[in-house]
Amino acid sequence: MSPADPIRRIVVVGGGTAGWLTAGVLAARFPNRGPDGVSVTLIESRLQPPIGVGEGTWPTIRSTLKQIGVSETDFLRECDASFKQGSKFVGWVNGTDAYYHPFTLPADYIERNLAPYWLEGPRSASFADSLCFQTRLCDHSLAPKQITTPEFAGLANYAYHLDAGKFVPFLQKHCTEKLGVTHVLDEIVEVVSHDGFIEQLRTKTGSPLPGDLFIDCSGFAALLIGKHFGVPFVSCKDTLFIDKALAVQVPYQTADAPIASVTVSTAQSAGWIWDIGLTTRRGVGYVYSSAYATEESAARELRAYIGADVSYRAININSGYRREFWVGNCVAVGLSAGFLEPLEASAIVMIELSAKSIAELLPGRRSGLAQAARIFNETFQHRWRRIVEFLKLHYTLSRRTEPFWVDNRQGVPIPDYWRQHSPWHEDFSAREEVFSAASFQYVLYGMGFQPEPTPWLLNEADRNRARDKMTETARHGESLRAVLPTNRDLLGRISKYGLQKI
Amino acid sequence: MTNLTTLTSQTHLNLRVSPQITRDSAEMNAVSVIPREIPRLLAHYPIFFLKSPESGRFEPVALLGFEPKENLFFNDGRWDVDYVPLQIQRYPFSLVPHVGEPGAPASLDLAIDMDSPQIVSEGGERLFTDEGTATKFLEERASMLQALVTGSTEAYAFTGRLAELGLLETVQIKVEFVDRSTKTLQGLYWIAGAALEKLTAAQLMGLRDRKYLEWMYFQMASVAQVSQLVLRKNRVISGVAR
Repeated sequence: MSPADPIRRIVVVGGGTAGWLTAGVLAARFPNRGPDGVSVTLIESRLQPPIGVGEGTWPTIRSTLKQIGVSETDFLRECDASFKQGSKFVGWVNGTDAYYHPFTLPADYIERNLAPYWLEGPRSASFADSLCFQTRLCDHSLAPKQITTPEFAGLANYAYHLDAGKFVPFLQKHCTEKLGVTHVLDEIVEVVSHDGFIEQLRTKTGSPLPGDLFIDCSGFAALLIGKHFGVPFVSCKDTLFIDKALAVQVPYQTADAPIASVTVSTAQSAGWIWDIGLTTRRGVGYVYSSAYATEESAARELRAYIGADVSYRAININSGYRREFWVGNCVAVGLSAGFLEPLEASAIVMIELSAKSIAELLPGRRSGLAQAARIFNETFQHRWRRIVEFLKLHYTLSRRTEPFWVDNRQGVPIPDYWRQHSPWHEDFSAREEVFSAASFQYVLYGMGFQPEPTPWLLNEADRNRARDKMTETARHGESLRAVLPTNRDLLGRISKYGLQKI
Repeated sequence: MTNLTTLTSQTHLNLRVSPQITRDSAEMNAVSVIPREIPRLLAHYPIFFLKSPESGRFEPVALLGFEPKENLFFNDGRWDVDYVPLQIQRYPFSLVPHVGEPGAPASLDLAIDMDSPQIVSEGGERLFTDEGTATKFLEERASMLQALVTGSTEAYAFTGRLAELGLLETVQIKVEFVDRSTKTLQGLYWIAGAALEKLTAAQLMGLRDRKYLEWMYFQMASVAQVSQLVLRKNRVISGVAR
């Protein structure tokens, strides 16, 4: 073992969404196999069935899937996937409200911040309706594309809702058959390391598995980052109160029931209910805080929401993340790195971002690992922190009166800065900020946050421009409404005919 | 409006249909064609591929004009070249799914659009003899429709294979007319020449064996007809068309 040793044997521990997605991204990025190339091996325990995190994704998933060489048609068909164009928050302000956080950026987002001009009035429509055409599509369960639109392209920005139970085998098949990932089914009985670097994994039945870089995708077990390296877990439960989830699968009432274009999050007395429409069923669940609701009362609220008696699966949520993610030659990705309530569907996007970062930072030789680890840790500590802050913002902006909501706001003021300034690019210094100024605008103004008027910072030319953009947004939305099929119609056609690659 | 009615010798014994194409069936700027008529189309029409709005699959089309509903081959009530694409020749006849016993094998019935201006009270062609058997005219139409059904399956198999091999690419056709106005045609696809050169011998043989290679070269050659289409448009612009 020397600093000059090349990094070419990548071992991924864990066969869930994180494991296969990371293996796929790395195998696609480093396609040279054989003795002089890079090997990617995924070891998975027969005993540990994958948890299947979240069914919601971000638009980044389109480029990730495209990069690893998956066909969108195959993916949609095999994972019962549907199109997701953002989130809709219902009842978060006071119980009678609703607003969208769409994926398409506000009009003119690259050039000018038009939010102050919307804030100024007359506010003939909500912020998102005024500056984003996509809300009109979501209102009518329309698809973000047509059957003639090529794979991974759209007329509005989109991601997917997917069945994680089908996504994992889909990725596994692609990784092993197309990308040359070696799949090992075995138990790890010992992690052999030297000077803080893992050398090999001893397994129950097979020969030892040596490697140069180990990716810990072992889920909550955190076999390498937690059990072996003892990196502590930073809990966020003082900030994010949610610690339980009750999940159910709900069939559609009729075969032609609309498939929603967004994840619907409906506020409840001690948390909120997610509602995700796949092609075959809805996935619904109540995430709540056990300090404010019993399982019985939560189940009652969930049943009231669904309107039927259902049996649920109870899940514990331990919000938080590792103090470090990359130690020596080991990187944690997925649940072993951290987990937060699925409010903005951050789980899968964090896996994608991690895999991409590893691929981009991967040094050629062992001597480069320390630098890669330093950058990776800084980047991801920042990202997890920012996600927690952004999730918390949804709670602090609420005016609901149940104890869960009141306590959520206790001692957590809305950042004073947003009172005098509308979120904009310069506020977010990091490259690939998880939540951009656009997300902050959609949530702040969607939840009715009222900044102080600062008319001396506004001007007539931009005011006119804003008015024009709002007119254009409405027109564009209406013209798309006329040509876009419903989600169900398009998904049916895709299942029958497929999408073209060009 | 169309008013499709299943044809029977009892109901339609004395019906007369004019083979003369009318504006109703001619007003379109592109018509889908089947591979087997491509050799005949080549002499007059530029052929490209378009995505079907129904299925997104590629279909071969003959371009007839540059603007919506503009058919530069149809002037003064007549089609001015000797070969009319089957999809237009077939009017006012169609095939419709047979409504039979549930579970019976699917079949198609010959139908006619009773609202078509090609239905005439005098002249034209009879569909049935007095004895109620189909006339040669009707038999020809029926076989055209049959050819369109078979041809459409064949066309989708052809374009499906082209797409699979990456042999189709988008193309923007920009033309300039005599009055200096320009037009860019969007949404068209053609054979990707560069991809064609990279095919393996086995892939090429596969294409040749199914006649696909021939059709591909015909399509490529037909692009030259775009300039003929521009000349037709120029005659309209200059007012010498009629």
